[in-house]
This record gives sequence, structure tokens and C-alpha cells, in this order.
Amino acid sequence: MIESSLLIWVIVSVALSSLTLMLLTIYNKYNNDIAKSIYPLLGIGGPFISLLFSIFLIYTLLINETTLYYKAFTWLDIEGFTIQASLMLDPLSAAMLSFVSFVGFIIHLYAHAYMGDDTSYPRFFAWFNLFMAAMFLLILADNPFMLFIGWEGVGLCSYLLISYYFDNEENVQAGNKAFILNRIGDFGFISGLALLFLYIGESGLDFASLEANVHLIPSSAINLIAFLLFVGAIGKSAQIPLYIWLPDAMAGPTPVSALIHAATMVTAGVYMVARFHFLYAMSEDIGLFIAYIGAFSALLAALIALRQDDIKKILAYSTMSQLGYMFMAVGLGAYSYGIFHVFTHAFFKALLFMGAGAIILALHHEQNIKKMGALRSKMPFLFSVMLIATLAISGIPPFSGFFSKDAILNHLFASGHFDIFAIALLTAALTSYYMFRLLFIVFISPSQQEHKLLPQSQLIKLTLSILTIGIVFTGFINLPVFFGGNENYSIWLNLPDMRYGLSHLSEIILLLVNVSFALIGILMAYAHYKDSSVDPSFGAIEKWIKNRFYIDELYAILIVKPIGYLSHLIVYIDEQLIDRFIHLISSSYQRLSYYSDYVQNGNVRYYALYMSVGIVSIFIYLGIQG
Amino acid sequence: MLSSIIFFILAFATLSSAIGMIYFRQPINSALSLIVTLLSIAGLFALLGGSFLFLVQIIIYAGAVVALILFIIMFLNIKEENLPDEPYKGRWILAMALLISPFTLYLISLVNKMEFKSLHLQDFGSIKDVGMKLYTDWVLPFEMISILLLIALIGVVILARKEKGRD
Amino acid sequence: MIDIGHFLILAILLFSVGIVGVISRRNIFVMYMSIELMLNAVNLILVALSHHFEDLNGQVMAIMIIAIAAAEASIFLALFVMLFKNARSLDANFFDLLKQEKHND
Repeated sequence: MIESSLLIWVIVSVALSSLTLMLLTIYNKYNNDIAKSIYPLLGIGGPFISLLFSIFLIYTLLINETTLYYKAFTWLDIEGFTIQASLMLDPLSAAMLSFVSFVGFIIHLYAHAYMGDDTSYPRFFAWFNLFMAAMFLLILADNPFMLFIGWEGVGLCSYLLISYYFDNEENVQAGNKAFILNRIGDFGFISGLALLFLYIGESGLDFASLEANVHLIPSSAINLIAFLLFVGAIGKSAQIPLYIWLPDAMAGPTPVSALIHAATMVTAGVYMVARFHFLYAMSEDIGLFIAYIGAFSALLAALIALRQDDIKKILAYSTMSQLGYMFMAVGLGAYSYGIFHVFTHAFFKALLFMGAGAIILALHHEQNIKKMGALRSKMPFLFSVMLIATLAISGIPPFSGFFSKDAILNHLFASGHFDIFAIALLTAALTSYYMFRLLFIVFISPSQQEHKLLPQSQLIKLTLSILTIGIVFTGFINLPVFFGGNENYSIWLNLPDMRYGLSHLSEIILLLVNVSFALIGILMAYAHYKDSSVDPSFGAIEKWIKNRFYIDELYAILIVKPIGYLSHLIVYIDEQLIDRFIHLISSSYQRLSYYSDYVQNGNVRYYALYMSVGIVSIFIYLGIQG
Repeated sequence: MLSSIIFFILAFATLSSAIGMIYFRQPINSALSLIVTLLSIAGLFALLGGSFLFLVQIIIYAGAVVALILFIIMFLNIKEENLPDEPYKGRWILAMALLISPFTLYLISLVNKMEFKSLHLQDFGSIKDVGMKLYTDWVLPFEMISILLLIALIGVVILARKEKGRD
Repeated sequence: MIDIGHFLILAILLFSVGIVGVISRRNIFVMYMSIELMLNAVNLILVALSHHFEDLNGQVMAIMIIAIAAAEASIFLALFVMLFKNARSLDANFFDLLKQEKHND
């Protein structure tokens, strides 16, 4: 264990730049040259410095092969309940830190080009940097409470950035939706934390102590805790049933979708499950439950994505689907494969979103793919990078997506849960189908209308290229033994994976099956869409898919409307009953005083009468007393 | 023996004229009843041995105060229509008497509980004794009462003056 | 035989008659005379008790009260004259200028 104060600087540099931007925004507007050079410097410089620190820290970790830690201060010290504000860097958090800081920085560059001359630029970057600070805190946290602070922080920034253009009512509602559903998940998460504290809180609340003491929890409670913590992940990572905020979250600017709702925030749920591996290893039932949720979420999302027309919504559903894969992996004990998929997914998903943003910008903010077409000749660079990313997400070798997806699928097969494996395989085919649908409709199929394209910025092209390189080469860090590698990444992560032995023959067959399913999807998409952007009809089920299985409407009827009625009822009770009652008290006093006025009638005889009444009563009292 | 008879006669006169005073409609009648009451009370004072007080009561109270009242009643030239009509006079009086009764009864019961010597006739408050008391122990209140009378005099003159040219 | 107690009882009765008179009658003259009656009742008590305790102070107090009553009588009647001149009525119910005005909130 080495202490390194650089850990705190990773967080502080982005937090400071965010804070400075927030303060400067109050005093200055983004409309003169000084401002135009300071704001980007702060907005991009903060993440850049964090990236430098992260690189150095990971290097130190690799060299010394030990955990880095840093204790800032003792946050709470109550009898039997101590929380330290401390950070930790072990291989798992280093794995997350690597791509969060790198991809985050790249997306900040992209956002600079994307937001460009927007007058609310400083506000955007203030929130963006704040998000990075919260995400870093989440990753580097030493105990679940610090993690939860980061968890809440990223939820907050997600809300702020989704409803960034708050003049539009829909954006605000989307932001509210995201935050509320996140909160529902947080309720489960906090309950789980409370139970953890109840059982093993006394001997320390950081992850190391919890891991050491987890066997002390009675078996009846382990499942409950694991389930409750996973509820938090359901909300954060958009799985069934708390996923409906993710498509709506596309109302935010595209860099937000790229960073938060693709690469980083939504993967926090997966990270949390991996971080609590010691708990989930003891609760196989809940692990299976997680895997099923992941499977169904993946399938549902893939189905819905088949008929979506908004380019960002397709990508949103595909994110949900890939998150399902990650949860299938960690649910069945393949923690390192799940994290590896998180890693590779960050690169190609961010690139897909950034490319989509470039297309949207070029076509004057057009997001409907049916209105695009034949852009290959006009934007060849964009076509090639998007092609590579789409191949990666479909799991075609030698791109990184293939290695991570194949590892997961093999693990699913080997674990014996063939139903989950079948769903995953089907979803893989659907994934490649709808992703190539997107690619073909946008770039290859003949276009309905003439497009006047705006020129593309060089900065955007640069960022896209960097990520493409990542997609091409990062697959090899976890090269499976079959291909002659050592699975270095998984070994480095050192998580207690369930390892199933597979014969070489099985592995070859599985590989061929996986790739062929993906290729089938590609070929069908090619056949359908190379000449037209009209969707072929599936028949009766098409209406269901096009309306996203009416889930939003179902929730509205089942949950939103009753809560609306309940709140109307409460308002009714408050206004009619409680307010009337209070008013009754005050008005009765007024009435009392009104009638008391009759006593003071100015007539001296009556005053004498009242006096004598008083005297007589006193004397009656004295008389009774004797 | 004789004192008891005198007492009862005087007491009867006092009470009946008091009740008559509050019952009569015309103020003149009430004032005349008041005179009888005051004279009876003066007699009671004499019975108690206060000879000076007997004189003072007659001269000042029955002589000056009631005379003043009669004078004002006649001065105002009260006609029948100026008098208030009191339709329920009897009922009011009875009701109030009923209301006051607990007060009265309680005090009477208190008195009954106390022990008293019987009346002994003597000249207890002769002029000389009262005068000595007045000019030695009570000299300050005595002087202040004279100032009070002066103030009352001035006040009455101002109050009853005709308004001339005052806004 | 008569003792002081009887005098006190008489005085109490006179006082009660005075109270009844003040409250029941509307004629301001009668009201005033009832007040004088009450003062006399008090005088009677004072003198009776001074006889009982063989103390002359009671009688002196009674003299003071008589003097004050005389002063008060003059003021009272001057006021009655003024009232009658302005209102032409001797009704106590009539003079209620100090009453609470009704106001609706």
C-alpha cells in the first residue's frame, strides 16, 4: 500500500475548473475574446490535467503492483459508525479510471468543437467538469459511502446536462424523468447500504473491511442486500424496469449523450457490482437474477431499436442492450469480462455518438435517419470511422468489441445457463442488424432529399480518429488463451471470476457461431436497406415494436396517474379540511369578539350589572366553600 | 328595651323609605324618600352614641345635599315627557334583588357568626372628643378635604357656566 | 336585645337596596340617590363598628365620607344639568356614546 496524494488531485483539478467556470459565468459573458480563450482553457485543461495524473497513477500502480490510497480526512466519527473520506486505486478502479479519464478528455475536446459559439458554453463546461469530478470520486472511492456521493453527483450532473436547454419543456421533463428514476434506484441502494452497516458496520466500512467481514452476514440477509444494491444499479444503468429515462435523455446535447449516457455514468452500475464482488460471489441466486435482468433488457432494447428512426435513440437503446451484456457477465461471475466489455464499449459507443453528432451538425440538426441518405460520398471519413465502430459493436474480429463480446458469450455458454446464452446470441444478431440498418440507411441507401452539408471541424475528425485507433487496438489487451494470449487484463484485475473450462473444440465452434450470427444480421440489413430506407414490415408485431411496447404508457397508467390522483387527494385534504379547520378556529375567534362587542354598550347600568354579577359569583364561591 | 323599640322603628323607616326611593317614578318623590332615609340613619347614629355625627348627618346630608338635589330637580323643569318610561321597572327590581341575594345572605351569615356585646347607650362621640380627634390625628385629611371642596366648587362653577363664545 | 350585629345587618340590606337601585332604574336621579344610599350604608357600618371597638376613628372616617359625598353631589348635579340641557332626556340608556361600534371585518 502506497500513499499518493495525486489521487485527490485527479478529482480536485476537474472540480476546481468546474467551480471556477461556475464563478466566472456569473461575472462574465461568453462574448469577448478574453473570455473565449479562458473558458476553453479551463474547460479542457481541467480534464487534461486529470488525465495526466491518471496516467501517472496507473503507471505507478503497474510498476509497484500494490494498491495506492489516500486519506483526506475523517468524515464521520460517531460511536460505531466511522466513515473516512479516502480514495483508493487498485486494478479495478484503475481499469475504470483509464478509460474514464481518456475518453472523457477526448469527448471534452469534441464538446469544445461541438458547442463552439454557444453563448452558454461556460455553463456547459462547468457541469461537464463537475460530472468528471463526481465520476472520479465514484471510481476512486474507498468505501461505499464515498462511492454513493459520486453516484449522486453523476446523477445530478446527468440531470443538469440533459435539461441543458431548459427553455424547452420537453428537455426539462426528460431531465426530471432521469433524476426521478435514478432516485428510485438510489432508494434500493441506500437500503442495501443500511443493511450492510447493520450487520458488519462496526468493524469498518471501507471495501477492504467489508470484504473481510462479509462472511459474518447471515445468509438470509445476503440475498436481500445484494438485491437492494442491484436495484440502485438498475436505476443508474437503465435496465428493466427503470430504463425509460435513457431514450428520453437524448434530449441533451450530443457530447452529453456520448460521455454520460454511453461511456461512463451508465457503466457505474456494472462497476458497483464488480466492486461488491465479494458480496455477489456469496449470493448466486441474485447473480442469476442479475443475469436474467441483463438478458431481457438486452433483448427488449434490441427489439425496440429495430424500428427507431431517431439516430440518437437507436444508439441509446443499443447502450441499454450492451449494458445488458455487461450485467449478464457480472451476474454469472465473469467480473473481469464484464469490466472488459465496459472498457471496449466506452470507445466504440462514444465514437458512434460523436459520429452521430457530426452528422447531425452537418445536416443542420436533423436527427431522423429516414431523412438522411447517401452520405457516404459526401462524408467518407465519417463513414469509415462509423463503419469500424459498428463492426466493433457487432462483434466482428479483429476489433475490440469482438474480444469482449465473445468472451462473455463463451462464459454464458460454459456456465450452463443455455437460456441466457440463447437470448444473448439472438440479441447479438439483432444488434448487428439494427446497427447496420443505421449505417446503411444513413450512408448507403438513396436519399430522399438534397442535403446541404456544413463543413466539418478538424477537431472533430481528430477526436474520432483517436478513438478509432483505440477500437482497433485495445482488443488485444485481453487476448484469450485460445488465440495465444494470456488474458493479461483479466489476470491483472484479479477478481474472483468463475472459471469454466471449455475444450478448444467448443471454443472454436462457439466463436464461429457467434461471428456467423453477427454476419447474418449484417447481411440481412444489407439486403433490406442497400436500396431503400423503407423498413420491411414484420407483420402484427411491428406496431408493438414501433411504439416501444407501450411501456411508457403502461408506467403512466400504473404509476404516474395514481400518484397524480393521490397528490390531488392530498391537496384536497389540505385545502378543504386542514385549511378550513384552521380558518374555522380563527374565524370563531373573530365571531366571538364580534358578539363580545355587545357587552360594551356604553350603558352605565349594565356595567354596574356586570360588576355585581362578578361580585356575586365570588360570594357564591365563598359561600360554597364555607 | 327602649333602645330595641327605637331601633326597630328607625330600621323599618330606613328600609321602607329606601325601597320607596328606588321605586318611585317621579324624582321628587324619590328625593323626599331619601330625606326620610337620611333622617332615620341620623337617628341610628344617635342610638350608637355618635351625637356629633347625628348633627352632621342632618345638617349636611339631609340639609344641604338633598336640598341641592331638590333644587336641581325643580330647576330643570322636568316634564312628563322628559322622564324615561320604564316599562319593566318592577321586574328589573325583583330580578336584581334576586341576583344580589347571595351576596347579601352571605354577608349576613358572616355577621351572625360574630359575637357582639349588646348595645349600651352612652354619649360616645361627643363634639369635643371628635373635634380633638379631628384636629390631632386627622388634621391632614381634614385640610385636604377643604381643598377638595374648593376644587368641587370651582369645578361646578365652570361646568354649569353658559357657553359664551367658546368653540 | 339589640346588638351591633343588627345594625350591621341593616346596613348590609341598605347597601343591597342601593345596588339594586343603581342597576334597575333608568332615571339618572334615582341612580344617583341610590349611590348616596350606598354611601350611607357604609357610614352606618363604620359608626356601628366604632361603637363596638370603642374607637373614635370610625366616626371621624364617617365625617370624611359625608364631606366627600357633599362635594361629589355638587359635581353630579352640575353634570346632570349639562346633560339635560344637551339631550333633553333623563334616560341613562340614552347616554351611550362610549359604546363599542359594530364593525364587520
